[in-house]
Amino acid sequence: MLANDQLIRVTGLKKHYKDVLAVDGISFSVPRASVFTILGPNGAGKTTTLEILEGIREPDAGEIEVFGIRVSRVDRTVKERMGILLQEANFEPYLKVKEVLRLFASFFKHPLPVEEILDRIALTEKANAHVKTLSGGQKQRLALGAALVNNPDLIFLDEPTTGLDPQARRNIWSIITDLKGEGKAIILTTHYMEEAEALSDHVCIMDHGIIIAEGSPQELSAQLGQETIIEFTAGELPADAIAPLIEGCKTARMDGELVTVETEDLIATMEHLLAWAKGRDLELKNMVVRQPNLEDVFLSLTGRRIRE
Amino acid sequence: MKGILLIARGHLITAFRERVTLFWFLLFPMFLLVILTLIFSGLGNAGSTHFSVAIINMEPSTGGSKDFAALVESVFEQAATPSEAGKEPLFSLAKPAPGEDKDAFLAREQKAVRLGHLAAVIVIPRGFNQGLMQRILGSDSAQDGENTITIYQDEANAGSQMATSIIEQIISGIDREILARTGKFDEAKAIPTETIWIGNASGEVAYIDFLLPGVILMGFFVTGLFGVPGSILFARDRQILRRYWVTPLTTPRYLAGFALGHVGLCAVQFFFLYILGRFAFGASVNFAHPEPLLFLLLGSVTFLAFGFFIASMAKTANSGMAIANILNMPMMFLGGLFFPVSGLPLLLRVIVFVNPLTYLAAGLRASLGVETVTFSLPLTVGVPLAWILICVLVASRRLKWDVER
Repeated sequence: MLANDQLIRVTGLKKHYKDVLAVDGISFSVPRASVFTILGPNGAGKTTTLEILEGIREPDAGEIEVFGIRVSRVDRTVKERMGILLQEANFEPYLKVKEVLRLFASFFKHPLPVEEILDRIALTEKANAHVKTLSGGQKQRLALGAALVNNPDLIFLDEPTTGLDPQARRNIWSIITDLKGEGKAIILTTHYMEEAEALSDHVCIMDHGIIIAEGSPQELSAQLGQETIIEFTAGELPADAIAPLIEGCKTARMDGELVTVETEDLIATMEHLLAWAKGRDLELKNMVVRQPNLEDVFLSLTGRRIRE
Repeated sequence: MKGILLIARGHLITAFRERVTLFWFLLFPMFLLVILTLIFSGLGNAGSTHFSVAIINMEPSTGGSKDFAALVESVFEQAATPSEAGKEPLFSLAKPAPGEDKDAFLAREQKAVRLGHLAAVIVIPRGFNQGLMQRILGSDSAQDGENTITIYQDEANAGSQMATSIIEQIISGIDREILARTGKFDEAKAIPTETIWIGNASGEVAYIDFLLPGVILMGFFVTGLFGVPGSILFARDRQILRRYWVTPLTTPRYLAGFALGHVGLCAVQFFFLYILGRFAFGASVNFAHPEPLLFLLLGSVTFLAFGFFIASMAKTANSGMAIANILNMPMMFLGGLFFPVSGLPLLLRVIVFVNPLTYLAAGLRASLGVETVTFSLPLTVGVPLAWILICVLVASRRLKWDVER
């Protein structure tokens, strides 16, 4: 077993497509009973990283050590202990839920009983329903079930809650938390910052194929110091309208109608802000005062939002 | 192995649950079979339990209770007599006219069997009475064939087979009558019968017997040409295949399951089309022999390979269907499935000669005895095999099992 019970360790991983360097020598490790989250905008290299670790692609360089075994690529033996939920959770639409799980269970040497999986993903009542009749949340739970049929030690979840309603998202979160409690290591990618903050033990932020920051959500947020964030809308403003605001705070920027101000002196900045609004006869709406989150960390590191 | 079987099962049940697929792989061929049969062949004779048979008694009449030959003949005469209720008799019986050359009569009736005009010919040999008596008494001095009733039948004709079976049952019943006369009945000494298959004559078969093998092959063809690339490309485009590849499932195992499912689908097609042809239109072709079954398997695998070929040439499921449509018309209609393709213009003959359907249809029909042998066996088998090889080679090089990035 790897030191500190690390289930997977990646060192100097590289991958390029033609002239594009998708992953540029990244290294990380994931211990047992933890959720390791990879954040990054589209094209950051996180999907390529996951595809290499899932065995879909071969790396150009670097070392992968899984379950204590150094492998040049992820093979069948390794896959026996891995569970994978892909970004696109599609199955044959005319198969029944239990048929899908039975099919996936047949690919592994030591699968769990299908009934146990159905119970875990709360789809027992839908066992005989055709895949095409399932809601988005139910399909995603089925995809999660297919990823768990072999009782894996290492689980990859690629944007598991994208497009789901809040309730369905909470259901998936609950399953992930339980899995972590059972000692499984989970590698997660997501676009939802609150999801990363709620579930992650360790977050790794990627951009342009490299890791630009990593640590626990709290550690990353702390990188922004004692800052406070003020957000509000004030209708459509000219691009230079917020220039005077910068004088009273650390940064100020405009994203459509949304104005975001970062400050280390909340009272002084608020006074300055109110005077600025009064001077321009602006009505401040939807005002929120909050502590920095991972989105702010990403913004401060890259200069853009994660979904841009 | 379980994974392979479940992939095959998934392939099969998906085809049954998806209405569009069900229509194209099952209902369309059945519909076509019905339409073509109704248009091109007469109806009304199918399903009848009335058989035309001929009987020739070579034994000179001796009269008395030991004239077993006359007894057998009289039993069949009774079976050919209409009942008092006016019900049609089981047989219509042809016999040589008094003074007619019996050997010439036999030759004529054998030809009638071959042409499908007669279900069977029963021949009671000369010396039958004495031979049977010696057999009953336990003496082995009877010469070979002296006590054996010969039935000439057409094995490829279901009506002929059914008539033969009934004739054998009647002869078995006659044993009991002989028991009453001799008091020495023994199962081992019952009247032996010999059935001789005298085959079928080309060009004289019912249209349904010509059509049925063609429609079955068409069903395989459509399933291979459209169903195989459709399934693979849909699963690839929707990343269903990708979901498989991140498990320990290997491509060869997936392919084995897919191929098994495809052959199973063809078997289901064959079953329903055969049942329809046999019971609705009285098709009499008999597939229960190794040669036609091997041709069916070869057909199924050939079009599976074509399906892989198309999947390898297409970037999406839609383009796969377009390629399949381009190949569909010339291959289907210039393969001799529905009508003979001899005498076509040179350009069309080229398509006929490179078309694997031409050889599969000809080979299958020849193996069923509904068409004379058109090509040599190596050519009949070799051309489809060559296409399998070409398609598999191209597919193995070009077919992408995952969406491209």
